[in-house]
Amino acid sequence: MDHVDRSILNEIQSHFPIISRPYREVARRLELSEEEVIQRVRRLKEIGVIRRIGGNFHSNRLNFTSTLCAAKVPEERLDQFVEVVNRYPGVTHNYLRDNPYNVWFTFIAPDMDAIKKALDEISKETGITDILNLPALKMFKIKVDFEL
Amino acid sequence: MGRGYQIDETDKRVIAAIQGDLPLDPRPFALAAQKVGLPEDEFIRRVKRLKREGIIRRFGATLRHQEAGYGANAMVAWRVPDERIEEVGQALAAFRRVTHCYHRKPAKGWPYNLYTMVHGASEQECRSLAKEMAKKVGIQDFQVLFSQQEFKKTSMQYF
Repeated sequence: MDHVDRSILNEIQSHFPIISRPYREVARRLELSEEEVIQRVRRLKEIGVIRRIGGNFHSNRLNFTSTLCAAKVPEERLDQFVEVVNRYPGVTHNYLRDNPYNVWFTFIAPDMDAIKKALDEISKETGITDILNLPALKMFKIKVDFEL
Repeated sequence: MGRGYQIDETDKRVIAAIQGDLPLDPRPFALAAQKVGLPEDEFIRRVKRLKREGIIRRFGATLRHQEAGYGANAMVAWRVPDERIEEVGQALAAFRRVTHCYHRKPAKGWPYNLYTMVHGASEQECRSLAKEMAKKVGIQDFQVLFSQQEFKKTSMQYF
């Protein structure tokens, strides 16, 4: 990654133009050609720097609710537990963390009842019953773009 | 729960087209619009409105932080007295390397009620930052949880 890549990333993280020819506009701002911007974005996707380009939503404004869950899972049951949890489309992030509560996942669903029901199902299927449900009461900050 | 502008069925089609990865093309919105049977100009108008109304909180590229040079991240869970939540939440959110800060309902056997995601070049840097944050707000009961493995990371398919 060179400084041109970085300047493109800074533009398209937070100031992606919502217009017919967004890359032409990014090119204009950075004094590049549209073709070069697209080529570089293609490469940044190929090498895995860019995960995706699209919208990020406030799920509560779409009448969805979300929560953070943490489960205490013995090592030998880990694979099966993760397989079952990841099957749910509402589970969008799932990480192994260094804590007795070792599996941490986020869950988005139309309402909390749906999430509780899913957690019950997961417990029944995996035998893992120690699952914390930590719904958000207030968001102080969410900012997932980085100055590079 | 939702305030202000309420989305309609056409917005749902637009959201379905932008909740994943836009096609890489000189006219990405035209292609996305075509897929859900809308003219490009109407599609763009609706994306802009969803953003203006705060339903889209950010539109653009999402990076893999490791690949982009932020080597480590940690979730730091804090135990904050209820009467200090507002003040401590604001103070921790103000750190530049904190990307997420949420007040959450604690659970039985897990008393932590404030959660921050911190990003740094290394685990050591994340730990130092957590200590600096702890000092700033005078809270000593916290857990630094590093991710050891990513099992899943995807964007929500709402519609």
